Amino acid sequence: MKVTIKNWVGVATWKWVANDDNCGICRMPFDGCCPDCKLPGDDCPLVWGQCSHCFHMHCIVKWLQSQQVNQQCPMCRQEWKFNNK
Amino acid sequence: MNVENWRLKIRRKHNELNSEDLSPVSLTRYSEFSGVKRKRDTLEIDENMSDNSSDFSKRANFSAITSNGINRNLNILNLKPTTTKKIVIKNLKSEPKLPDDFREQTWGKLQEAVLAIQNSRANEYSLEELYKAVENMCIHNMAHTLYNNLHVLIDNHVRRNIEQFLAESMDRFLFLKKMNETWQAHCRQMIMIRNIFLCLDRTYVLHNAQIASIWDMGLELFRQYIMANTLVQTRIVEGLLMLIEKERQGDTVDRTLLKSLLRMLTDLQIYEKAFEEKFLVATERLYAAEGQRLMQELDVPDYLAHVDKRLIEENERVYHYLDANTKPRLIHTVEKQLLTDHVTNILQKGLDGLLEENRLNDLSLLYSLFGRVKNGHTELCTAFNLYIKKRGRTIVIDPEKDKTMVQELLDFKDAMDNIVATCFNKNEKFSNSLKEAFENFINQRTNKPAELIAKFVDSKLRAGNKEATEEELERLLDKIMVLFRFIHGKDVFEAFYKKDLAKRLLVGKSASVDAEKSMLSKLKQECGGGFTSKLEGMFKDMELSKDINVAFKQHLSNTSQELSAIDMTVNILTMGYWPNYPLMNVVLPEEMVKFQEIFSKFYLSKHSGRKLTWQPTLGHCVLRAKFKLGMKELVVSLFQSLVLLLFNSHDELSFDYIKGATNIEDGELRRTLQSLACGRARVLNKIPKGRDVEDNDKFRFNNDFVNKLFRIKINQIQMKETTEEQKATEERVFQDRQYQIDAAIVRIMKMRKTLSHNLLISELYLQLKFPVKPADLKKRIESLIDRDYMERDKDNPNHYNYVA
Ligand SMILES: [Zn+2]
Ligand SMILES: [Zn+2]
Ligand SMILES: [Zn+2]
Repeated sequence: MKVTIKNWVGVATWKWVANDDNCGICRMPFDGCCPDCKLPGDDCPLVWGQCSHCFHMHCIVKWLQSQQVNQQCPMCRQEWKFNNK
Repeated sequence: MNVENWRLKIRRKHNELNSEDLSPVSLTRYSEFSGVKRKRDTLEIDENMSDNSSDFSKRANFSAITSNGINRNLNILNLKPTTTKKIVIKNLKSEPKLPDDFREQTWGKLQEAVLAIQNSRANEYSLEELYKAVENMCIHNMAHTLYNNLHVLIDNHVRRNIEQFLAESMDRFLFLKKMNETWQAHCRQMIMIRNIFLCLDRTYVLHNAQIASIWDMGLELFRQYIMANTLVQTRIVEGLLMLIEKERQGDTVDRTLLKSLLRMLTDLQIYEKAFEEKFLVATERLYAAEGQRLMQELDVPDYLAHVDKRLIEENERVYHYLDANTKPRLIHTVEKQLLTDHVTNILQKGLDGLLEENRLNDLSLLYSLFGRVKNGHTELCTAFNLYIKKRGRTIVIDPEKDKTMVQELLDFKDAMDNIVATCFNKNEKFSNSLKEAFENFINQRTNKPAELIAKFVDSKLRAGNKEATEEELERLLDKIMVLFRFIHGKDVFEAFYKKDLAKRLLVGKSASVDAEKSMLSKLKQECGGGFTSKLEGMFKDMELSKDINVAFKQHLSNTSQELSAIDMTVNILTMGYWPNYPLMNVVLPEEMVKFQEIFSKFYLSKHSGRKLTWQPTLGHCVLRAKFKLGMKELVVSLFQSLVLLLFNSHDELSFDYIKGATNIEDGELRRTLQSLACGRARVLNKIPKGRDVEDNDKFRFNNDFVNKLFRIKINQIQMKETTEEQKATEERVFQDRQYQIDAAIVRIMKMRKTLSHNLLISELYLQLKFPVKPADLKKRIESLIDRDYMERDKDNPNHYNYVA
């Protein structure tokens, strides 16, 4: 062997895997953040429902707080349950 | 002090002593007639008299004689009791008899004495005797006659004296000299006469308001005869003007003579009427012509120096001989003729040159002179502003000078700041105007200054920039921030800054974390947290990556996977924070692919809902390379590594083969090969030799490679930033702006629910930090309406409603 790797600094970028481009509640792209936040990424995370719809966490939490009776997904009106995959 | 003054002073002293001897206190000894009451009166007066005479002796200047004469007169007037006191003589059985020829004899004595004084002869009688004579005449109701007789004597004398000035052919200067001597003599004589006739002043004059004091009577007669004769008066004034003009031309003139004669005019109360008007007209005429002429002949610095000199001279003129009341109008005349009328011309002709050549002294003078002129500073400030805009534009507008633009801007700002601080008295109007001018010209070229300022900062923050200490760097960054403040398209700066910051962070090229953080906090302070949040996010990613790598190593040792001895670390970047990088699918050796898979799996197990994308353009490695003469460590990019690793199984490879085996993009590959085979450290040999990599080239591992160092960094050749790449960054900025406008509109509409077009636009302008045209905003609103984020109000098309 003439050449071997001693160390390697790799670089990778991450983004959310969402089933849509935009949040169904605030309509902002998932690559950005919800209207209340300045910074996308860890500070404004996405969450998935068991119905497989996905929202900015801040958006769905606000939505759920505004629903008095039933905790429903704003997209499919099924009962909302967080999917902790 | 000249001899004349000196002599006068001695004489005055002498007079004082005499009048002491004859003071009213001792007077009571001689006067058998006065009662107790009267004694008290005279004593009261005496207190004031002695006050006066001590005042008198303090003054060394002969002109004080006259003013003292007036003072004394005033004091006596003030002393006039509110209720008139009368001398009442009672209880005397018989009046002492006066000799029959008392009046003639006494007056004869006095007349003799006055004539002696007027003709500068020795006086036969003692002053005490003369004083007593006056006193006795006053007591015996002869004061009126005495006063009138004295008036005739003085009248005759003054008239005779004036006659000598009527001769036609007298040299002007001699005329003035003679006039001055006459005046001086008059003053001297009147003082002596007044001393003798003191009692007259204190009784007769004091009790008769309409009667002038002896001193004033003298002045009045002098004035009368000069005033009466316009020829004499004109000759005096013209002579004075001639002397002053001579002095203004640079000759030395007899200032004492000027002063004495001007004081004479003042004392005679004809200074304003006879002299001042004519003097000011002459001044105006002279300086009007001089201003016109010198503005042509001299350059501006010399002209300013001349004006300054003239103003000093005229002030001295006031100090030395003119009446102080003339000063405001005199100086104003000079200012008007030499400055006010030439303000525009001076600025047009000279300001740019002075600023260009940094002539601080001349600029200070310009500022102080213009301060004398109404609106002078405003005009100067306007011209200063124009200069900065004109000069600044040449710095930013020419693409040829882009390399030096930022340094030139910094130097220019320093120079202008310095001028405002040292020459313009830190005048706020000027420093504000300076800022306005910088902001104006720096934005005359869109985007480029912002880009170049970002790159300039990069060059200073990059490792290897050893030219500055920490403090110097800090100061420099502060100065750059001042320029940054003027930039309208701050997002353009951010885009370029971010690109460079990414490079510094990922390749470990940053000179100092402290300096990076300091710059970041400056940007934050200037533009707010929103501006720097993504940049801060980049720093945060770097920190988080460290933790992830520690956990990853832990994970590897826990699971004890079979892997070769590659020490792998990964920087995980949050997509939204960092610049966009072109996606490249390159072929990695199997072991590297395996590493990537293990890492991805590990990372996604910790962070669900995410997708990782590897960025081969940003990776780099340290390689161990075995050469004939020994082992070396090579610090290289991932692309360089991929090429070099191919030579483990081959000695010689063609360009095409390498391209196929690595799948590196053509241009990138050519630059990579160039760096390895044509640079300073040639670990490959190119066949045939040559600078550029051609399609048919072959490459060989250079077994004979030698280098002093053990660890060698082989720089990847950077693609020269092409116009296209530049455009790409600008395009990204543009797209980001669209996105930001959309977000702002939605934010505002969501909060307001309904809003008129104009109000929405003005709120947007408050929120958006970059220049944007109203037409662009309109387009974005239309687009949002199309996408059902908002709608036009059905009743009022100028209103929008938010669509929830
Ligand atoms: Zn949302
Ligand atoms: Zn959020
Ligand atoms: Zn759903």
